[in-house]
Amino acid sequence: MRRLPVYFLIDTSGSMYGEPIQALNNALSGMINTLRADAQALDSLWLSMVTFDREVKEIVSLTELASFQLPEITCPQSGPTHTGQALEMLYEKVQADVIKGNPNQKGDWKPLLFLFTDGKPSDLQLYREMIPKIKSLNFGAIVGCAAGHSANDALLKELTPDVVHLDTADSSTLKQFFKWVSETIEQGNKSQGTGESVALPPPPNEITVVI
Amino acid sequence: MFETKQYIESLLHENNINVLSIRQKLFEEYVNDEFNIEAVKLIKEKQKIMMDKWLLKNKIEDILAKQIIIPNATVGKPYQAILDFNQPDLQDISGFEFENLTQYGLNFDSELKIIEGNPSQSGDFKVKMKFSVLGEEENTEPHEKWLSLVINANPKSLWKNIASDEGKDEDWKANNFWKADNVSDFQPIGDKHIVVASKRGRSHANVGSFRDDDFGFKHYEDNGWSVVCVADGAGSAKLARQGSKIACDAVIEYFTANLNDENLTAFDELLLDHHHKKGEDTQKKISHFVYNNLSKAAFYAHHKIEEFATKAESSLKDFHSTLIFALFKKYDFGYAILTFGVGDCPIGLLNKDLTNIKLMNWLDVGEFGGGTRFITMPEIFNSDKFSTRFGFTLIEDFSYLMLMTDGIYDAKFVVEANLEKLEKWKDFVEDLQGDNEDKVAVSLDASNNEIANQLSTWMDFWSSGNHDDRTLAIIF
Repeated sequence: MRRLPVYFLIDTSGSMYGEPIQALNNALSGMINTLRADAQALDSLWLSMVTFDREVKEIVSLTELASFQLPEITCPQSGPTHTGQALEMLYEKVQADVIKGNPNQKGDWKPLLFLFTDGKPSDLQLYREMIPKIKSLNFGAIVGCAAGHSANDALLKELTPDVVHLDTADSSTLKQFFKWVSETIEQGNKSQGTGESVALPPPPNEITVVI
Repeated sequence: MFETKQYIESLLHENNINVLSIRQKLFEEYVNDEFNIEAVKLIKEKQKIMMDKWLLKNKIEDILAKQIIIPNATVGKPYQAILDFNQPDLQDISGFEFENLTQYGLNFDSELKIIEGNPSQSGDFKVKMKFSVLGEEENTEPHEKWLSLVINANPKSLWKNIASDEGKDEDWKANNFWKADNVSDFQPIGDKHIVVASKRGRSHANVGSFRDDDFGFKHYEDNGWSVVCVADGAGSAKLARQGSKIACDAVIEYFTANLNDENLTAFDELLLDHHHKKGEDTQKKISHFVYNNLSKAAFYAHHKIEEFATKAESSLKDFHSTLIFALFKKYDFGYAILTFGVGDCPIGLLNKDLTNIKLMNWLDVGEFGGGTRFITMPEIFNSDKFSTRFGFTLIEDFSYLMLMTDGIYDAKFVVEANLEKLEKWKDFVEDLQGDNEDKVAVSLDASNNEIANQLSTWMDFWSSGNHDDRTLAIIF
């Protein structure tokens, strides 16, 4: 059976402390419930979540949606944003997790990546070093999401052409965003030409596509 | 009574009262006094109780704070989860039970510490666990802890079946290149028969979108040739349903117009020579013929789609479709079978007594699911591999010639390598004849009036994760 592996990289640095992280937890939980009610997702979706602040943690390793349990995401009160390190971990995980097809083995759908951040990488050099490596993994789509005024759209643009901006990280905006994420995921398992990428659905009003 | 003495000594000492040495004898008598012995014993007992109670309270708090995970369940899928309490913080649980599990179709076996049953309703639930802790007095009210229990819906129940033309009129259908969600046919084709069915996949039915697969076939009475084509529009291309339709129509149109010249007579003679091993380079000449004629048909299909796309002011990519077709004709010495394929749809030829399978084409499959090539891609015609897209065989007789889309192949053959295994094809034929979960059979007999419906019904088979459109053409 073909799996659709989806990776979430979530910024849990100090600036997310308090209400934003609460809103994020609620929005993620809503997204999981939406996906659980989707026949296609329940049949093929596998999820992995990595959080990054000073430390990078794989809080859930690649798990099929049917068995997935969302842990409470917490964050420290202050500290740097190690986005580069998170990409480094992601690079290893994707290489180990994703099954490539050959005549004797069914390949996964191209994996999808959602990177959510409200700041900019503190480890900029590593972040930039990792970008070509991440691109070489052949993701079906990489969606960068910059939340709030301190998030740096331009740096995300270096990683992916698909960057969206949320003005605030409040509960209703995040809910809209993750609803759109689940719609994007539902696009992920369709046949496409070799080398083509997944088309993103139009985002809701709360989300600005960064051009 | 050393304990009593020690206790009273430290009590007096804590209160700065000294026992004078001349009173030592009196003190000895005092500590041996029955009342004092009893009193110290009682005090010590009470202290121990107080300490134990405090430790107990801590243990209970630890258990309440600890995240206890119950694995997710799925409606209709027998469930069994062993709760592992052999871990720090949980080892002190002496007994526990669950209060409201039965409403979800589950039971708790307290001896084996197993939750089991047949989950009956889906949702995100909280279940109440009542537990007691080692060291508690008997008859203590059990403590309560709420645990999360996720029961997934039965995946089968989540699929909706929304007609692609629900509430739409004829104009809408014409403007949107509508095609029927579900079609099947049964016809004679030359001295053989063809049964074919094409069915919209659950992933499309779920959202009311169109069937992207298509097929076409025709027998040319005047020259004895027959053609069968199958095409699979790409799920990611928005007008793929029209791409697959044009591809099939174009191939049939091409051969209708081009299978009538003298070059066919020459080919008939060439085959005869080849069969009798007469003449020179017959194999090479046959290859030339196959290449020349079939490549023109394939290119004609490409061209027709391109023409349509330009007219519709759409991108050619929007019409992405795979295409396979087989051309065959009966001769005195057997059948000549010519094929072409681009994409991930196989053409299989089973000999008369089912002892040999010939896979007529190779599949364009990539490292990742869904990555394939289409008749709409101009680069396939310039590729070095283009000439390998053609197949030819002469066979005395055959039991089945099958053309299918990946909706069938992914579910029934799983991987490419299996398409070359005779056993897998035999299993496939048996599956068609009823050896399957639902015991749905297609009686592959030309006198069977119900054959097209049977094939269509068979195509409803359930295969987890495989919900693409399904098309299967069987010539027999």
